Amino acid sequence: MPIVVKTQNAGKGDWAIIELQGDLEVRSNQDMHGQFIGDLYYNKYGQPILIIGHHILQGREQKLDKPFAVLEKSKTNEGERLLETSMASQDVSMLNATTGAERTVLDHTIAQEHKSRQRTEYTVRAVCTKKLIFKSRPKPIIANVAKSV
Amino acid sequence: MESMEVDESAAQLYVRTPEDVKAIVKHAKLDERQLTQLTQALYFPSADVDSDNLRLLELDGHMLGQIRDGQTLYFKGGQNEKLVLCTDERTYDVKGAEISNSLLLVPDLKFAAATSTSPLKSPRTGNANASLERSLNDSTEDELEVPRTLEQRPVLKVFHEYFECREIKPRFRKLGELLQLTRYSGPENEFCVEQKLLFTFSQLLDTVQCSRGQFMEGLNQYRAIELDGRMRVMEYEYEYRIINMMLGLISENSWALDEVEREETINALKGIAPEDVVAGLFDIYTIPSERCPGKFEYQESLVSRIVAQNILQPGLRFRNEEFMRTWQEVLPEGMSCDLKYLRGLGICDKEGAQPCIRSLAEELLPTNISDRMRALFKTKKRWTMEEMEPYIECFTTPNLSVSTLLAKHARSLTDGGVRYFVSKH
Repeated sequence: MPIVVKTQNAGKGDWAIIELQGDLEVRSNQDMHGQFIGDLYYNKYGQPILIIGHHILQGREQKLDKPFAVLEKSKTNEGERLLETSMASQDVSMLNATTGAERTVLDHTIAQEHKSRQRTEYTVRAVCTKKLIFKSRPKPIIANVAKSV
Repeated sequence: MESMEVDESAAQLYVRTPEDVKAIVKHAKLDERQLTQLTQALYFPSADVDSDNLRLLELDGHMLGQIRDGQTLYFKGGQNEKLVLCTDERTYDVKGAEISNSLLLVPDLKFAAATSTSPLKSPRTGNANASLERSLNDSTEDELEVPRTLEQRPVLKVFHEYFECREIKPRFRKLGELLQLTRYSGPENEFCVEQKLLFTFSQLLDTVQCSRGQFMEGLNQYRAIELDGRMRVMEYEYEYRIINMMLGLISENSWALDEVEREETINALKGIAPEDVVAGLFDIYTIPSERCPGKFEYQESLVSRIVAQNILQPGLRFRNEEFMRTWQEVLPEGMSCDLKYLRGLGICDKEGAQPCIRSLAEELLPTNISDRMRALFKTKKRWTMEEMEPYIECFTTPNLSVSTLLAKHARSLTDGGVRYFVSKH
């Protein structure tokens, strides 16, 4: 069976992606779940500024050439319908009826597809059309001297 | 900085406060007057949020439009097939892609414009005005300063992979193969057909790797008919026999080519062939007549093709003029044969002493391009692009054209002003 990707209500909620070079790490021996990462600011010109620990990064707000959909996977146990049951028994017979390699491949595919009871589904939870990208090297804030007028 | 330390003995997680924000702005020597009012504090995904179920799928314009419209998409693929994603009209190859950067997914993150109480400024231009402008702006900001606000923003997930999609041509071969397993050759032969290999429309749609729109095209291409709720194709000799009888009615009834009557045709073959077979074939082979409303005319391309297929048995070759004469004689008066109707069915071979026509059925050739190229050049040494196109177009994608494929898998030469492709080896 094909896996369905549901898209109702996908128009609601434009989520954001923040793209950082490399990986974020936390101090050793600490679980990172829920830990503070950093503060995000924008200057008056709309440029994003991210302060992580004692690092400061200058970024850019950018439209994604190819937007992302956020898919959420779920499994549903469908109630067995009469047709489904008859298909199941038919599939078993089908496997026994195979002759020749090509048929085996096709039959097996069909049988596998129809035997599936647990149905996987995806839902589009959101679409991301913009991102903040921080690709310059982070600077320690101690050396970030403010411009003098 | 001491206030930023997380007390390891405490179970609670550190939460950012406005005072912390003010302190870090000062430490970073940022000019607060140059910042918008809102600060967003980012956090790693929480332990109790299950984000393992989330995937990123890269979209093109068509897919984005389908999602905005609320259309359902489908992932399809059997155990021995690569994954595809189908919209109503298109089919995409799906691959996992990796990225070394971290992609932080943040629901509800506010972009710059939403964090400011006044419009964002344009980039500065000109040094002379900058100083004055800055002074004025600074002065204004001093008088109207708005307090800084803080919002907490959990990251939902950090990604390093996403699904990447590339539009491909639909994969019909499976459809053709499944239908051929149970091809129909008359009610008297149905006992030979494995009933458990008969499939409904929706079963085939589920399993064939293409969109619904493309699937309809595929059924049409294979001339499939629904019989007793199952999709069937005709065994071609049987199909030819029925079509031949249907065509015979044109002269019997003294119809012009565009005066064919549907009910009359179906009635005349009653008792000879099942009604739904005749009706199905009629609907495939005809189009409504332009001149006579309510009447029909046979499509020359389809009629010519099945007649040619009947003449052109596998392995046989005909001298060109002999073949064309035979072909023309079998067609109804007023219809013309043309070599273009042999597309994907046979080729004209000019390399021998006399030009001849020979059978070469596209669907019987190898399914990977290297083997297919080898088979084609074994059949004939030199090909024009037009000759080769019906045999390799199934390997093209929107980004990979026939000429690109030929450049990669064949060598070209020019003889007498005509460009030919020959084997690379």
